[in-house]
Amino acid sequence: MGDLNSDLVLLASAIARGEELSSQIDSQYSEYTRDTAIEVYRNNYRGNLQDALAGVYPVVKQLVGDTFFRFMARKYIELYPSASANLYHYGGELAVFLNEFTPARELAYLPDVATLEWACHVAYFVADQPSLDMNKLAQISPEHYASLIVSTHPAYRIVRSRYPVNAIWYAHQTGEEENFHFELENNPSIALVGRIDNVVKVTDLSESEACWLENIQAGNTLGVATAVTLELHPHFDLQSTLLKLFESGVFVDVILKELS
Amino acid sequence: MQRPATSQLPCKAGIGLRATHYSEVLETLPELGWVEVHNENFFGGGASLHTLLKVREHYAVSLHGVGMGLASTTPLCETHLSALQQLCETVRPAVVSEHLCWNSAGGFVVNDLLPFPYTPEALAHVVRRVEHVQEKLGRQLLVENLSSYLSFSHSEMTEGEFLAELSRRTGCGILLDVENLYVNTRNLGVDAMAFINAIPVDAVQEYHLAGYSVRDGCLVDTHDHPVYPEVWELYEYVLQQIGPRPTLIEWDADIPALSVLMAEAAKAQQRMEATHG
Repeated sequence: MGDLNSDLVLLASAIARGEELSSQIDSQYSEYTRDTAIEVYRNNYRGNLQDALAGVYPVVKQLVGDTFFRFMARKYIELYPSASANLYHYGGELAVFLNEFTPARELAYLPDVATLEWACHVAYFVADQPSLDMNKLAQISPEHYASLIVSTHPAYRIVRSRYPVNAIWYAHQTGEEENFHFELENNPSIALVGRIDNVVKVTDLSESEACWLENIQAGNTLGVATAVTLELHPHFDLQSTLLKLFESGVFVDVILKELS
Repeated sequence: MQRPATSQLPCKAGIGLRATHYSEVLETLPELGWVEVHNENFFGGGASLHTLLKVREHYAVSLHGVGMGLASTTPLCETHLSALQQLCETVRPAVVSEHLCWNSAGGFVVNDLLPFPYTPEALAHVVRRVEHVQEKLGRQLLVENLSSYLSFSHSEMTEGEFLAELSRRTGCGILLDVENLYVNTRNLGVDAMAFINAIPVDAVQEYHLAGYSVRDGCLVDTHDHPVYPEVWELYEYVLQQIGPRPTLIEWDADIPALSVLMAEAAKAQQRMEATHG
């Protein structure tokens, strides 16, 4: 891999890093200059990545407006160049970037909105896995429930925020410009993000529901998860939580833990 | 010399199907010759694949890749290739195609379709990669000519000669993008007739048509306009020289109503029928 590789690397660095073009590129074109040509490629490069970001983060875009979003995307693209030929992988660090991005500092909830939108994006593209068959649960005698290990769908993520990002996300799903008011202080939220019937769903979770599900996701038995949760949240209601989470599609399978 | 089409796609005009029109197509099932989709939109399965499988129940599907990087100098991405292989098994497309271009080298990934010098070194490199892809997929790949905005002074052959030799050595088919060819004639002074003469007629299995934009004198392959008269003219010439082939209307930005796409496809269909009865 000799000359070809160096030709390509030189062109790539001219496009992605704004470096000088190599002398191996023809300098004369009938209708335009070489500088015009490389600018077309630079614009394509940024434009494709910016479109990818806009596709993943429609709510962030609505919150900051088109002009600011373009400015923000340009800075993001400089700091986080593409690493995959598949554009659907692009943009996963936006929340991290926004935490450090001082021009957006006044919108303190913006990084958490980005985290929620990335979780939705991942949920949309993750491979299918069938939901739990209730018949399988019915075959297990209730006295063994405490020893059940429930496996959960890998697409489902819990997103916590000290801000009401779930409400902000819901309010911007129509895409219509409207004035919303959200109480930002002392108004935290927890979202369960997943996909059911091919539609991405964001479900509000209470602290106790999230605590129980996190214990289940960590591989604890139903009994242990429930005991830990009840200790922290004495009013935890296992039955209603099971029903709500079953409907969300997060459960995939149940197995009885081997009694040792 | 003209030859009949051998593609598994119906020899009709089809449209590039994008997310904008999924639900309308599934609800109204309009008369479309066939549809083409971008592979990468369906990798990993998920909700978009469900939609494609429903579309597949009613239409022949062509899988068109934009991210393989046949001429990239980083190793062929096996994850990408496996995802494509799996998609082929699930969708059972009529044809599978990719571009004669690159998108990664050294530590860089540029999500675009980039040109490279047409040298013997590049030819040997792309031959190996196309062979590998065809082995892995267990089927023929169609390779599409590129629209370019710049050229390399040390190219030793034309793109047409490169494609012809690639097809001869690997058995790959050729997807002739008529608009790309037109863009190159205007931008780079490529000789369209010489290009058409250079490529083996039997290898050509599909045509693409689209509209471009002009930026500071440079024709840019933006797929955001109707097909221009000059491109229709070149298409008619191609129909006479090579013969009828499944023809796609591509529209990827500022996507218009489905009826507009279908009207463009009807124009291509009329020209195919006018030339070949």
